Amino acid sequence: MNYLKLKVFPLFLISLVLLNCEKDDICAEATATTPQLILRFYDQNAPEETKTVSSIVVYGFNDANEPVFFDNIGLSTSDSIIVPLRTDSEITRLVFHKDFDIDNNGTPNDDSDDIVLGNPDLLNISYKLEDIYVSRACGFKAIYTNLEISADSDPNPWISSHEIINTTVENQNSAHVKIFH
Amino acid sequence: MLKYSISSIFIVLISLSAFSQNDSIVNDSIRYAQKYGLRLGADLSKIAKTIIDEDYTGFEINADYRMSKFLFVAGEIGTEEKITDSEYLNSTAKGSYFKAGIDYNMYKNWFGMENMIYSGFRLGASTFSQTRNSYTIYNTHNEWQEQSLIIDDTKYSGLSAIWAEIQFGLKAELISNLYMGLSVQLKGRVTETEPDNFENIYIPGFGRTYDSGSFGISFGYNISYLIPLFKKED
Repeated sequence: MNYLKLKVFPLFLISLVLLNCEKDDICAEATATTPQLILRFYDQNAPEETKTVSSIVVYGFNDANEPVFFDNIGLSTSDSIIVPLRTDSEITRLVFHKDFDIDNNGTPNDDSDDIVLGNPDLLNISYKLEDIYVSRACGFKAIYTNLEISADSDPNPWISSHEIINTTVENQNSAHVKIFH
Repeated sequence: MLKYSISSIFIVLISLSAFSQNDSIVNDSIRYAQKYGLRLGADLSKIAKTIIDEDYTGFEINADYRMSKFLFVAGEIGTEEKITDSEYLNSTAKGSYFKAGIDYNMYKNWFGMENMIYSGFRLGASTFSQTRNSYTIYNTHNEWQEQSLIIDDTKYSGLSAIWAEIQFGLKAELISNLYMGLSVQLKGRVTETEPDNFENIYIPGFGRTYDSGSFGISFGYNISYLIPLFKKED
């Protein structure tokens, strides 16, 4: 009788191992993630026409008023830009800095006397956060609803106006906001 | 040694017949009265997992009642609590279930033996709750802040699932009336209620679910005791 018991037990162990091996619990990189905000720049004099912004860089300000730079946003001349919104706050403060350049005052090695050139405009983007279930492996992503934008008062803005195309940011298929300049 | 090179399932099947050959003397002229009764048992694998795995608590009682030489009415009743943890999500499923159906003994016993190699069918039902313990928002473009864990304990109650199940297993009598059993259970969900903006990650009695479909698999390792009620010849 012990003979049988000896044979059944290993099979039981093997089945336990099998149960623990089958993990499809890795979040695949291609899975749709929390969407980013897509802004497109239009000509204020010809609102149907896109218009590139020269040497634009976008960065944010966090709650401590420190600038936050984004890995995938460098200096570019483009008619559209994609920026990440915060998921830990229902307001994101973004600086759209046009004609960005640094005048090093003739001392390339000394940062202290550098002058930042160009025209920064600050937009406050507010929204409601909503968590959407993705999968067991990826958990939940955020989407943004009730999108609203207000510009900080600026004596010399380069942005003349904006228009929200879609108040819900749930994918990155098309632009959510038009910026006129 | 040869037996060890074959797959374990075959070893078990072979060993069943092997020891019956050792013990029994076949005598065609004597008829053997087989025991009929209620067999009650527990799933040892769930008890073992409860001890080993701190994310799991489970217990299952199983029973079968012999209707005829080959046919048994069978069922299981149990409770499970399981924490499922992935990179972005931690959730707990908790609930109870029962399964009812039949087992059909496909094994022609040698004289005097009452072992089983069976296939069975079950209909299972579970009522349970799922709690989202914590999660991290899945965001691949996040320079704003460290991915922070959101602790919450949203409980999704009143969930249920119904599934069909095919079992293959064996039950061997170790000593008089005491049986050791092993089974593999292949399951397919028929219906389920899913929480809003979430899904059933683990269903008590059914086991974990898969993204690919409504199928599941689990194993049982049972010890059971036969309460003999009467004997009947073939």
